[in-house]
Amino acid sequence: MEEPTDLIRSARFRKEREDDWMRLEALVTKAEGQGLRRMSFGEARDLAALYREATTSLAIAREISLDKGLLRYLEALTARAYLSVYAPQESARGIVARFMRKSGPVAMRKSWFFVLLGFLSMGLGGLAGYLLYLDDPAWFYVLMPGELAGGRNPEATTSYLRSVIYDDDPSASGLGAFATFLFSHNTRIAIFVFGLGVFLCAPAILLTFYNGLIIGVFVALHVDRGLGWDLFGWLSIHGVTELSAICIACGGGIQLGAAVLFPGQNTRAEALRIAGRDAAKLAIIAALMLVAAALIEGFGRQLIQDRNARLIIGWTIGGLWLMWFVRGGRAQS
Amino acid sequence: MRLRRNTKAPAPDPNVLLPPEGVPLHLSVAGMGARFGAQITDILITVIGAIALVVLLAVMNLTSPQTLWAISALLFFIIRIPYYVLTELAWNGQTIGKRMLKIKVVSRDGLSLSAHALVVRNLMKEAEIFLPGTLLLTLDTASPVASLIALGWIVGTIMVPLLNKRRQRLGDMIAGTYVIDLPTPILLKDLAQSVPKPVKDKFVFLSHQLDHYGALELQTLEDLLRAQENRPSMQTNARNKATLDSVIEKIRNKISYAEKVEPADSVAFLRAFYNAQRAHLEQKQLFGERRQDKFHADQTTKD
Repeated sequence: MEEPTDLIRSARFRKEREDDWMRLEALVTKAEGQGLRRMSFGEARDLAALYREATTSLAIAREISLDKGLLRYLEALTARAYLSVYAPQESARGIVARFMRKSGPVAMRKSWFFVLLGFLSMGLGGLAGYLLYLDDPAWFYVLMPGELAGGRNPEATTSYLRSVIYDDDPSASGLGAFATFLFSHNTRIAIFVFGLGVFLCAPAILLTFYNGLIIGVFVALHVDRGLGWDLFGWLSIHGVTELSAICIACGGGIQLGAAVLFPGQNTRAEALRIAGRDAAKLAIIAALMLVAAALIEGFGRQLIQDRNARLIIGWTIGGLWLMWFVRGGRAQS
Repeated sequence: MRLRRNTKAPAPDPNVLLPPEGVPLHLSVAGMGARFGAQITDILITVIGAIALVVLLAVMNLTSPQTLWAISALLFFIIRIPYYVLTELAWNGQTIGKRMLKIKVVSRDGLSLSAHALVVRNLMKEAEIFLPGTLLLTLDTASPVASLIALGWIVGTIMVPLLNKRRQRLGDMIAGTYVIDLPTPILLKDLAQSVPKPVKDKFVFLSHQLDHYGALELQTLEDLLRAQENRPSMQTNARNKATLDSVIEKIRNKISYAEKVEPADSVAFLRAFYNAQRAHLEQKQLFGERRQDKFHADQTTKD
């Protein structure tokens, strides 16, 4: 084909490369539609090669061309190609496997201090609630939200309290609904606690502390009636998992808040980004534990009525979690 | 504590992203409107998904009506987070809503999006969008303190993206991502390519005549000419004719072009001038002299 010789330099530049750009555009559209994984080897290779070529074209065009239409086109094309070439290459399954096998427990161990703070907030809250109740049972009404108590208060009879813990006829009581409600309540608390951590640490710690207070007065009420061990069993079967999840979420929240409060040498946004790597993993672990707790709660608590069985199951599962955190992701020796 | 860190280098342009190849790309940060729209679309999709599942459960008679309510709340929550993470992973930073509104999540460092970043930004969405949203629905005048705190939080989360240049949510900051408008590549015809031979000979511009204008004027002229191309009906429009005439008149005065331009030739004249001007400017540019606009002469003497 005879090339027109009267073209100015930038028009010649364009004419020489136009076909490649068109091909790249078609490949990018294809990659965006069906993903890189489903493209043939040749296409994927061409996409990468043509992308680099287009990048060079753009750099040259910025220097030599004053054609605004061309510059805009190249900008957009290169950007689209860049986004297709640098797409995440991982599969969902690979990510889950890696998280379970390694990155989850490793993050847990790395931020043990924050998790400890989370557990401390709840533990101290529990202790405070317990002591407050011993001081004056009226604290129960102050601290316990009405809908959570479900009629269990200092005026209830001991036999009523016992009947709630050992449910004789699970299907009729709607306890399943209550348990699910409690789950969504705790899930919300966990998210709250994590999210609030960013807004400096105090809200996360306070909320966890308050959650501890509730449990404290609740336990004190039952201990007062001589139902301490029975409640312990009732709480253990799913509470070991569920309350730990809240504490871990709180730990993640504190970690974020600490990054904002004490950014060190980095900017606050930078510090937040670094802390987020582990904190997010803590949140995912907490979410996993909450889902597990919901399953245990949905079935176990109604089906298993024996105190010792409840204790054993609850703490065994707790031990398994702990083992995952301590052993997971260490190099096999 | 220092409130401002003045030692930092001036903040980079938020619309520029630097890929590993080292050629900066202009990707404009998405507006709040588009993001809000995408968010609404996605919420609708997940809610409809959850409702469909609940209806399925109800039809199959698997649960009692009491538990159904709790289960639906749970389902919405369980569907939601994986939906965002998995769609953004599969479509490289786009959910269905984002696809519809042509916006996309990109990584700030120019590398590809990591699974971690996607998980983080969507986990934080719970605390930043869904909780304030639920709080807004449950604002209770009976407890003014709680309502005030809730309102404060809602305002706070809305303010965060408005206060930074890249419109990042907190989740975006932690994940190191931001949301851009997806550019659409449209290759327009090169104006300089299609000049018929007779026209080229008809209008001849001398080098000193082309020294007056810079890139800005050239590209403004380009826009004008492209408008003529895209809508041929304009050429018969009286107002358009007047505009062209006045533009030609201005150019003729500026460059002291003696010959009269016939009304029928006005577009041809402008194209010929565009061509010559572009060739001239690009030639200058090659030798290291960039001419921004018609005031370039003053600029070069000042520097």
